[in-house]
Amino acid sequence: MAHPTAISDRTSQVAPAAGARRRRGGRFPWARLARTIVSAAVAIIFCLPILWWALAAIKPTQEILSVPPKLFGFDPTLNWFRVVLGNADPTRFNVETTGSVGRGSGGGTFFSLFYLLDSFIIGAVSTLLVLVLATPAAYALSRFRMRRRKDFAFWILSQRMMPPIVAAFPLFIMFRDLGWIDTYHGLILVHAAMNAPLATLLLMSFFDEVPRDLDEAAMVDGATRFGAFFTVVLRYVRGGLAATAVLAFVFSWNEFLLSLVLTTGNIRTVPVASSTFTTAFATEWGYLAALGTASMVPIFVFILLVQRHLVRGLTLGAVK
Amino acid sequence: MDEITPVTPVRDRDDARWGRFARGREAVLSSDHPYLWFLPVVILLLFIGIYPLIYNVYNSFREFNPMTGAVEPVGLENWARLLRDDRVRGALGTTAIYVAAALIVEFVLGLMIATLLNGGPWASGLWQALLILPMVVPPTVAAVMFEVLENADYGALSWLLKQIGLFNPAEPLLGGTGRYAMVAVLIPEIWQWTPFFILILLAGLKALPSEPLEASQVDGATGWQTFWLVTLPMLRPMIAIAVLFRLVDLLKVFDYIYVMTSGGPGVKTEVLSFYAYQRSFATIEWGYGSVLGIAILVLAIVVANLYTRVFKIQW
Repeated sequence: MAHPTAISDRTSQVAPAAGARRRRGGRFPWARLARTIVSAAVAIIFCLPILWWALAAIKPTQEILSVPPKLFGFDPTLNWFRVVLGNADPTRFNVETTGSVGRGSGGGTFFSLFYLLDSFIIGAVSTLLVLVLATPAAYALSRFRMRRRKDFAFWILSQRMMPPIVAAFPLFIMFRDLGWIDTYHGLILVHAAMNAPLATLLLMSFFDEVPRDLDEAAMVDGATRFGAFFTVVLRYVRGGLAATAVLAFVFSWNEFLLSLVLTTGNIRTVPVASSTFTTAFATEWGYLAALGTASMVPIFVFILLVQRHLVRGLTLGAVK
Repeated sequence: MDEITPVTPVRDRDDARWGRFARGREAVLSSDHPYLWFLPVVILLLFIGIYPLIYNVYNSFREFNPMTGAVEPVGLENWARLLRDDRVRGALGTTAIYVAAALIVEFVLGLMIATLLNGGPWASGLWQALLILPMVVPPTVAAVMFEVLENADYGALSWLLKQIGLFNPAEPLLGGTGRYAMVAVLIPEIWQWTPFFILILLAGLKALPSEPLEASQVDGATGWQTFWLVTLPMLRPMIAIAVLFRLVDLLKVFDYIYVMTSGGPGVKTEVLSFYAYQRSFATIEWGYGSVLGIAILVLAIVVANLYTRVFKIQW
């Protein structure tokens, strides 16, 4: 195990079979293959409900809830997507498939393209805002010696403890008086505040992993504290920033109650729009699945783009 | 963990080197003081957070009177009621079971999967992105999805359970006497939030310096020993933060229970947050609802404090 090539290999850090990536020996990396198979199996199990959901978005009504769920052998339809994303008239499809006008004939009831856009704007801007505001605070929490530092960190954490169910009503009153109901900046600020505690404390623990010698070295070279933070230290918490960005975006994208209470319909996020597809009488599975599937695509792309930065941090040796 | 780097020596050295800037660097509006760094986030949190807190504290001393249709001051009545309310005690126990089960399963699964992905399988980026996907479904929608999947008649999950002979028609996941109601709401919970741990722990694992790991291998440690004695202790700050935040979020869990069981059958899955909702909006006892909201806040503060002490978290 203490073979030189194994030691420098990054896979060696947790894996017993660290020599798996040795190519030159010509031995097939069985351990790596095994790990790939297990990873794929776990990922597929976790994605089964999503697969079911995505299939429901292209199934005709009578197939959606069939048991056992069909992977093939149904007539795929794009009608749900056409209505949800393209504002097609659902009445026509209803007549074609069931022979009656059916539900959802209000026109525009299920058209959700702009809700996807609303969700995206609010998610992206609030994520950016929370990163800009929380990163300096996280750095300071990690680096400065100050009195009551722990209490301060705990206060920040405590800002996430109030259940939204009791915070929603007072926030509504406040926003009504400010005239901020149904505005982007209102929801953006609320979502940023909701994510600020997580962003601050998570980034703090990432800063803690960056050796302090690095800041010192930069400041010896003449940088100010801020200069050291901005030009030197920041790039070593890239992975932390990426993980925080994903989480902040996801939490904003998923948030339901506050988005519901603080809007009246001009702005509508995806969870709020989805909730209008479910009533006490029926659930519009096809539309719900189509919107859900469509809303997953931008986030999936975002995660794929961001995770390039989830890379190895700096090694301790680099500054010694 | 070592102590925070003292700021003073740096300043002393700077005094020697650039004497005339020293005075400027002493000013509060200098990046050598922590205040400016904190200011933006503190302003944001105070702006959004302070009014709901004040409002709920104020509201906890009032109550809506359906006879007069007015909100009247009731003094400490709501708080006294909190202490003698059996349903609060029941909800507290339900919350404890829910939080403990979800936290343990999500953390252990998340750590295992993060370690697996960090071990360098082929296409790890793809598996990683796929494993984050469950978190991307809004919890309200996930709850509706699993309500169908767990349906005794047409649910795909129930069908799967039937195939492996684990399905008891008298006691389906949802329905029956509700024996498995808690399991039923925990399934989407765990499905959605295990990825939270995968994401944070994987980022943490990748950010670890490699020297200690290499050193332990040079010293002949097995993979298990390296993992338990070197990787885990180094990952501890990240674990601490991830568990802490999941804990805080779990204490106010609401969506799955609201959609899937409405706290039922009876009060079997009634957690504190859902009970607060019941009092505020179903029985229109706003004042008591505020009391319950503050109680959850206080509970979260106490639990988080205990957690940081028991596990000796270094902030």
